[in-house]
Amino acid sequence: MKWVRAFLLLLVTAAVFWILNNPHGIIPPMGKLFNPFAGFWQNSNKSDKIVEEIVLPELQDIVHVVWDVRRVPHIFAKNDHDLYFAQGYITAKDRLWQMEFQTHSVAGRLSEIVGKRALEYDRFQRRIGMVYAAENSVRALNENQESKAVITAYTSGVNAYIKSLSKKELPLEYKILDYFPETWTVIKSALLLKYMAWDLTGSSSDYIMTQTREALGDSVMEQLFPYYPPFMNPVVPTGVSWDFKSNMDQKQREEYINIHRVNTNSKESQYGKGSNNWAVSGNLTKSGYPILCNDPHLGLNLPSIWYEIQLISPDVNAYGVSLPGAPAVIIGFNSEIAWGLTNAGSDVLDWYKIKFKDSTRKEYFYDGEWHETKLRVEEIKVRGEKTVLDTVCYTRHGPVVYHEGEEPFYNNIPAGSAMRWAAHDPSNELQTFHMLNRAKSYEDYLEALRFYDCPGQNLVFADKSGDIAIWHNGKFPLRWKGQGRYLLDGSNLDDEWKDWVPREHNPHVKNPDRGFVSSANQIPADSDYPYYLGWDYVSFERGTRINELLSAMKDITPEDMIEMQSDVMNLRARMLFPRLLDILRAKSLTPEEKQSYEELKNWNCKNRAELIAPTIFEYFWQELCERIWNDDMNTDSGSLKRPNSEVTIDLILNQPECPYFDDKTTADKETLDDLAYQAFQSANKKLTEEFGSIGQAWVWGKTRGTDIRHVAQIPGLGRINLETNGNSYIINAISKYFGPSWRMVVTLGPEVRAWGICPGGQSGNPGSRFYDNAVDDWIKGKAYELLYLKSPDEENPDIAGKTKLRGVK
Amino acid sequence: MIGLIICFLLMLLLHIFTPFWWWIMIVPFVYSLLKAKSGWEGFRIGMFSAGLLWLIMSVYAYLTGSKTIAARISQMFQLEIPWLTIIVTVLVAAIAAGISGMAGYSIKTLLRR
Repeated sequence: MKWVRAFLLLLVTAAVFWILNNPHGIIPPMGKLFNPFAGFWQNSNKSDKIVEEIVLPELQDIVHVVWDVRRVPHIFAKNDHDLYFAQGYITAKDRLWQMEFQTHSVAGRLSEIVGKRALEYDRFQRRIGMVYAAENSVRALNENQESKAVITAYTSGVNAYIKSLSKKELPLEYKILDYFPETWTVIKSALLLKYMAWDLTGSSSDYIMTQTREALGDSVMEQLFPYYPPFMNPVVPTGVSWDFKSNMDQKQREEYINIHRVNTNSKESQYGKGSNNWAVSGNLTKSGYPILCNDPHLGLNLPSIWYEIQLISPDVNAYGVSLPGAPAVIIGFNSEIAWGLTNAGSDVLDWYKIKFKDSTRKEYFYDGEWHETKLRVEEIKVRGEKTVLDTVCYTRHGPVVYHEGEEPFYNNIPAGSAMRWAAHDPSNELQTFHMLNRAKSYEDYLEALRFYDCPGQNLVFADKSGDIAIWHNGKFPLRWKGQGRYLLDGSNLDDEWKDWVPREHNPHVKNPDRGFVSSANQIPADSDYPYYLGWDYVSFERGTRINELLSAMKDITPEDMIEMQSDVMNLRARMLFPRLLDILRAKSLTPEEKQSYEELKNWNCKNRAELIAPTIFEYFWQELCERIWNDDMNTDSGSLKRPNSEVTIDLILNQPECPYFDDKTTADKETLDDLAYQAFQSANKKLTEEFGSIGQAWVWGKTRGTDIRHVAQIPGLGRINLETNGNSYIINAISKYFGPSWRMVVTLGPEVRAWGICPGGQSGNPGSRFYDNAVDDWIKGKAYELLYLKSPDEENPDIAGKTKLRGVK
Repeated sequence: MIGLIICFLLMLLLHIFTPFWWWIMIVPFVYSLLKAKSGWEGFRIGMFSAGLLWLIMSVYAYLTGSKTIAARISQMFQLEIPWLTIIVTVLVAAIAAGISGMAGYSIKTLLRR
C-alpha cells in the first residue's frame, strides 16, 4: 500500500514539476514565470534606473551616454568603433528580445521557440530564401571595409550585453516563451534589413493579375488596371523633363503564359503599409530654411519598431530612429541635413513559371536547353519534435517557393514558379545610412544613395544651404512595358531581367519651382518618364492631399507641419460626396437612413474618432465597391483582382454609363444610382446589426479601433481598441493594424531643431514606464521636441542622467 | 514550526543565489524525507513555507516597481486585476511545495522498515 502511495505521490510530484517547468501550447512555464526571485516579477521598472558606470573591456576609450527624460540615449564616443559598439550594447539593453525574435522570425526559426505551430510559416520564410538573401548581404557588407568595421563593432556591443545578462534579468518574453538569447552575428543584422525588404516589396499581385487577365482580356485590363492611374499626382511633378531615353524596347507584349489559378485555403497577405514624406524650401517657411517631414507607416507593434537614438563621434552627430538590430540612424538628421523615407512601390519581385524535366526537379528548361537546379537543404528545428528537413530548389531566377500540388502559405504565391526578387542580390544598404548620418550636402546625399538597392525608397532630402530633393532610389530592373505585371515564362530569355535602370535615371527632382517635394507611395513619375517601373502604386489620395495643402501654404512653421502630419481630410469622401449625396437625396429613406444621410451631409469629410459620419462613409464605400465589383470579379475558381480605389472613383465620377455598374447576376439593368442606393441601405443595415441604432456606438474611433499588438502577439503586452483618427489613405494614416511608426519634423538652419514621436516607447520591457508612454500623445497627434546635444556636458532640464561606459583601465 | 522556518530560510537563500524556481519542490521534499512525521505535515510545511516566501517576495516586488508588469501579466491571463498575480504566485508555490513535501514523506515511509 505504502509503495503504491509513494509511487503515486512521486508521479504527481513529477507531473506538477513538468507542468510548471515547461510551456504548454500558449501557456507559459508557470513555475519559472511566477518565481518572484527570477520570473516576471523581476522585469520591473528598475530597468529604467540609470546606471552610472559600466565596464566593457572591448571599449577603446570612454563613452558617455546621456539619457534624456524620454529615455533616448545620446551616445558620445571618441571613435567610430566605440560609437557602434555602444549603440549595439545600449540597443540590446533596451530591445534584446525584439531584435532576436524578429531575426528568428525572418530566418524561419520560430518553430525552435514555439513548436510546430510555426512550421508552415518557417517553411515559407526558408522557401522565399530569406537566409540566402541575408548571406548575400553579409558578403557585400564584408567587401566594404567601412561597413564591415561598423557592423563588427555593433555586433560585439550586442554580445557584450548578452554575456552580461543573468537569468533573472532576461527580458520578459524569454521567460514567457521559455528560451535563451544566442550569440548575435552579422547575419542577424542582415536578416533584419531583408525583413524590411520583404515587408515593403513582398506583396505581389502577379498571380491574381494573370488569372484576371485570362478572365477579362487585355482591353479590360488596360481600363481597370491602367499603367497610369486616374487622378495621378506623381512624386516627380508633371512637367519635369527628362534628358535621357530608355534603350529598352517599350513595345508592349501581346502574349503571356496562361495559368489556372487554384483556389486555396491559404491566407491573403495583409496590406496597409505606406508612408508620407515631404520637404519645403526656405521660400515657403517662416525661418527661411527648409523643413523636412516624414512619417513611415508600418505594422503597429510593441515594442516599437524604431529605437530613437543620437550618435556622436568626432566625424558624426546624427539623431533619429534606428532599427533595433542594425547600426546607424535610418531616418533622421544631423546639423547640416535631414532625410526621410517612403516606400517606392516599384516592382522588384516577379514570378517565373518553371518547366521541370521530371519529378526529381533536378533540371529545368531555359532558353532551349535543360539546366541544373541548385538544391539547398533547410533544417527547420522544431521544439519538442524531430527536425524537419526541407529542400528548396533554386533556378537561375531564384527559388521555386511552392511546387505544384503544395498549398502555399499565402494565396498570392503561384505554385510551380520561381521568384525573382531584387532583395536576393548582394547589396549593402547599411553603407547608405552610414554615409547619410555623416552627409553635409546634396552631393554627399547622392553619393550615399549609390549604395542603396532594396527595398527601393523615395528618399527625401533637405539641407541647411537650402536644397531640397527627392530621389525614387533603389535598384530597379530594366523592364519592357508590362514585364512582371503577369506571371513570366521561366524558359524564355526575353522574360528575364537583364539589366537595371541606370541609377542616375531613377525618377528625381531637386529644388522644383513649386517649392516643395513630397511622396506618399504614389506613382513616381508621369507618362513622360522613359522607363517602366511597375504599375501597382498606392492610390493618389494621400499624395494629392499633401500637395494640395503644401501648395496653399506660406510662412510655414514646424508647428504647421506637425499639425499637417495629423491631417484627417478624407479626400475620397470629399470627391465622391457631390455625386453620391445627390443620388441619395432623390431616394426614399427610412427615418434612420434619413438621420444617417444627414450625418453624411453635414460632415466636413474629416475622419475624426469622435464622429459618426466616417463610419457611415467607410461602410457605404465598402458596400458600394462590393456591389460594383462582386458580380464582375467572381469566377468559379475564386475572386479576381479588384481595381484600385482610384479606378472605382474615376468610374463613379466620370463614367456613369460604364458596364460595371450593371449587376450581371440580375436580369434588370442597374445603374450607379441603384447601386449607391442599395449600398447605402445595406451599410446602414449592417451598422445597425453590429452596433445598434445610430448613435454614439457608431463613432469612428470605436467601430474601427486601432490595435498596437505585441511583436509576438502575446496578449496583454499590446495596446488594443485605441480610438484613433484617420485611415490608411488619409495623411494621418492610422488604420486597424498600421499607422505612422515615427513622425518627424526637422527644421534646418543655424541650429537644427526637430520634433518626433513613436507609437510606443524606448524600452522593450513591458514592466517599464517607457514601454508605451508615448501612445496617448501619438493618438492626439502631438510630437516631442528632440534634444539634439553637442556635448556630453551640456546642461538641459530634459536630461535625466548619464552612464559612463569604459574599458578596463 | 521549526521545519517551516528552516524550509523558508533555506529556500530564501537558494532563491537569492540561483535563478531556479524548483527549490520550492526540492527543499520541502528533502525536509519531509528527513524530518516529517506525516504526509500532511510534509504538505503543510511545504505549502506554508513556500507560499509565504513567494507571497512576501511578490508583495515586496509589487510594491517596489513591479506593479506595471503585474498588471500586464494579469491581462495576459485575462485576470484583469493586477494583484491577482500575487494570488497565482502563491498558489503555484503552495501547490508545488505542498505536493512535493507530501511525496518526500511517502518516500521516508519506504525507507523506514
